[in-house]
Amino acid sequence: KGSGLGLGLDEEVKVSKKRQPVAKLDESRLLSQNGIPKLRRAAKAKLRFKGKGHEFSDAARLLNFYQLWLDDLFPRAKFADGLSIIEKLGHSRRLQTMRREWIDEEKPKSSMDTFEDS
Amino acid sequence: DGAVFGQNVQVVDPDVRAYVYSLVTALGGFNGEDADRYVLGDDALACLRDIKRWLKLYDEKNNRMDVARCLGESNLVNGDLIPILTLWGSSEKASRHMSRVALACLELLVPMTWPLEIHKEMTVNHARHMPYLQQVQVQYKKGLLSNASAGLLRTIIRIGLPSMAMPRSERTNRDEGILKLMLYLLRNVIIITPDTRLVAEGEEEETSRSRTINAFQEQDAFALLLTMCSNVGDDFSLQDVVLLEILFHIVKGINVEKLFMDDEQRSSKRTNELHDLLRQESSLRREYTKNAPTRHGRFGTMIWVKRDDAKVSTVSGQDVLKDGQATMQKMDQTKKWNKPLQRRRITEVTVNDDFTSPVSISSTALKNLRKFVEEFLDTGFNPLLTHVRKAIEREADRVVSINSRQYFYIVAWFLEVERARRDCQRKKHAKEGKRSKDIQPDSFGLVASVLNQETFVFLNRAMQYALDNKDWEDLTAEMRCFTQILLTVQEMALSPLEEDQEIAENIQSRIFYEETTHDRILSIIRGFKDQGFGYLDACTELAHVFLRMLERYSKMNTDMQVRSRRKARRKAKEDQLAGENEIVHASEDEDQEDTERVSRERKFDFTRFSARFCNQKCVDTFVAFTRNYKELDTQQLKRAHRYFYRIAFKQEMTVLLFRVDIINLFYRMIKGPGALEPSQPIFRDWEELVKQIIRRMVKKMEQRPALVTEMLFSKINATVFYLEYGHERQTISGI
Repeated sequence: KGSGLGLGLDEEVKVSKKRQPVAKLDESRLLSQNGIPKLRRAAKAKLRFKGKGHEFSDAARLLNFYQLWLDDLFPRAKFADGLSIIEKLGHSRRLQTMRREWIDEEKPKSSMDTFEDS
Repeated sequence: DGAVFGQNVQVVDPDVRAYVYSLVTALGGFNGEDADRYVLGDDALACLRDIKRWLKLYDEKNNRMDVARCLGESNLVNGDLIPILTLWGSSEKASRHMSRVALACLELLVPMTWPLEIHKEMTVNHARHMPYLQQVQVQYKKGLLSNASAGLLRTIIRIGLPSMAMPRSERTNRDEGILKLMLYLLRNVIIITPDTRLVAEGEEEETSRSRTINAFQEQDAFALLLTMCSNVGDDFSLQDVVLLEILFHIVKGINVEKLFMDDEQRSSKRTNELHDLLRQESSLRREYTKNAPTRHGRFGTMIWVKRDDAKVSTVSGQDVLKDGQATMQKMDQTKKWNKPLQRRRITEVTVNDDFTSPVSISSTALKNLRKFVEEFLDTGFNPLLTHVRKAIEREADRVVSINSRQYFYIVAWFLEVERARRDCQRKKHAKEGKRSKDIQPDSFGLVASVLNQETFVFLNRAMQYALDNKDWEDLTAEMRCFTQILLTVQEMALSPLEEDQEIAENIQSRIFYEETTHDRILSIIRGFKDQGFGYLDACTELAHVFLRMLERYSKMNTDMQVRSRRKARRKAKEDQLAGENEIVHASEDEDQEDTERVSRERKFDFTRFSARFCNQKCVDTFVAFTRNYKELDTQQLKRAHRYFYRIAFKQEMTVLLFRVDIINLFYRMIKGPGALEPSQPIFRDWEELVKQIIRRMVKKMEQRPALVTEMLFSKINATVFYLEYGHERQTISGI
């Protein structure tokens, strides 16, 4: 015991390897640049529908659009699984306020407000 | 030391085994010179009583199953008891001694066939013996049923006959006990079924429900049941609950519709079914061949899917060449990770659960059962069910908690039978070309005992109780019962008899008068969360039937009133405002006032009521139901269709359906892979509905780009209105 001069050099140091943290689909990932902001941009730029008479092809286009977006965002999960995770996240307070903001952005200034201003 | 672990473990104390075996040997046997004749041992009666004592004083007292196991191993039932009973049954003039022996046999048979259930207080000993005993019980049942010529059930009934013949007032406790034993044996025989988890050696057929029903018919067990049921109030009053149990286990899971088809219809239905199945299979195969590779498996195709930002994904296989949809499908399928499922609570399945899964029986058994069921409706239904309900309400000693579930299941099942029978008769008359005038219409008197106010009160209370205590199996039975009552009343209202119409009107007004009933239905349908398919089926059916009938009723009675019970808060507040100096008083009384409820009548508004079914939770319940679309039949698909139609086009709340997973489900239902069978008539309805919903969705998305994000989530109440109509809800109170 003396050889280590009491510095604790002889004692074995346990090295425990930490596991690589598993990527999660959570609020911050959903709200990051690759998340919903990208979805909104892409929808404005790309998502076009043919309208009446092409209902099912329109639906397919929409579903593919979401699937590819989700695959980029969180490649691990299958489409249905990813959707259910996101739906659950939507109940959190932070996302609810964000959602309301996104809707309010597109709202025309409501008639009540203008009435009060004048 | 090489010995297999546990090989030399004695599962039963050797002394116990030795004692039991020696008793069974001393009971009697087949004599050497006359080999097919069972000869009773000298002290047979004493042996039987000793064995009974062993069961009672060793097994029951120590909470073990050792003696039962030894008795199973020594083949007591099939080797001794059944031959003894046969001997007694075949003798013309039974001696007093032999009658006692027969009764002692019955006394042993009942505990040995008693249903074994997995429960919380099980010991290691139970867990060790139970699989063996379950299997050996199937052997007992086989033995009891297979001696068709001897008619063992008939012999057993004969043991009880002298006690039955006596008027109730003269019966002793012993007589009542004998009747109880006889009925419990019949019950046990029905309940025993081969466990699907254990190896069965061709016993499924010989111990099946069909075989049991046929034996009951041939050996007059049905006749006995009918006699007892129809005299429940007078001669038999303590037996009502056992009779109910027997009925429950006979009819649980049997399809009423099939019961009321004649052979021709049944066989044609069966060929139709076969036809349908074959067509289904061929369409499956067609779908497969459409996507199947046209070259060998190592042909090695690989394609790129170009994506944004100059990225690509690779997908292999020739099937992906076909179209974009297939490629996307494959990209999704090849992912390895699955979202971990929520761990389901482990439930103990007992013989009284699982009454929703269908059982199919042979055509002879169907015929026998139908005969019994019809006679039961004609004679025994009213007396038995009235008596049982009273017993349950009174909380009589013989009633156990499971009985109320059985009661509601039986009521529901027989009401359905009664409707099917009427339907059948009507068709028959129409076929024979009789004019409706010549037919004497039947009244609904045969089922009147479950259509009275007492039953409704009982049912309402039971539903509320089950809902509050989260007893889902009970609630399922009660919901089915309520649905059937509603359907029966509806049919009653269409009856040609004026009296029936009046009664139906009366019942409807009483059912729909209570607002608590409306609220309960709503909270049931909102409260679905992995309770299983049986529950889901029952609650969606109830909601469907209830809404439709209420709609019709409130249309006919334009100023329908309901009694609403609300908390008296508002009134209290008004009082407070009125006399401000009494604030101290008011706050003291607040607790009291809070619990106090005012009940008052108010006008019922159907549109407002049905609007309450338009929320995300109800939609989620129906979506969960529709997810099983491949297994649903036409009626169930129609039910889901009507609900979504109501949401989308009657209530104008399509926004609730605009969610990617719902749209995905709808799209898969129509366009596949794994779509509905396009030749089904219901397919057209669904296709049209889905098309309309998608059309609206596309329009909405162009109007309101914010929907792109909202498509991912359940909508918040605050934004639903804006998304649907494009402006905030205008409230008058604000101005």
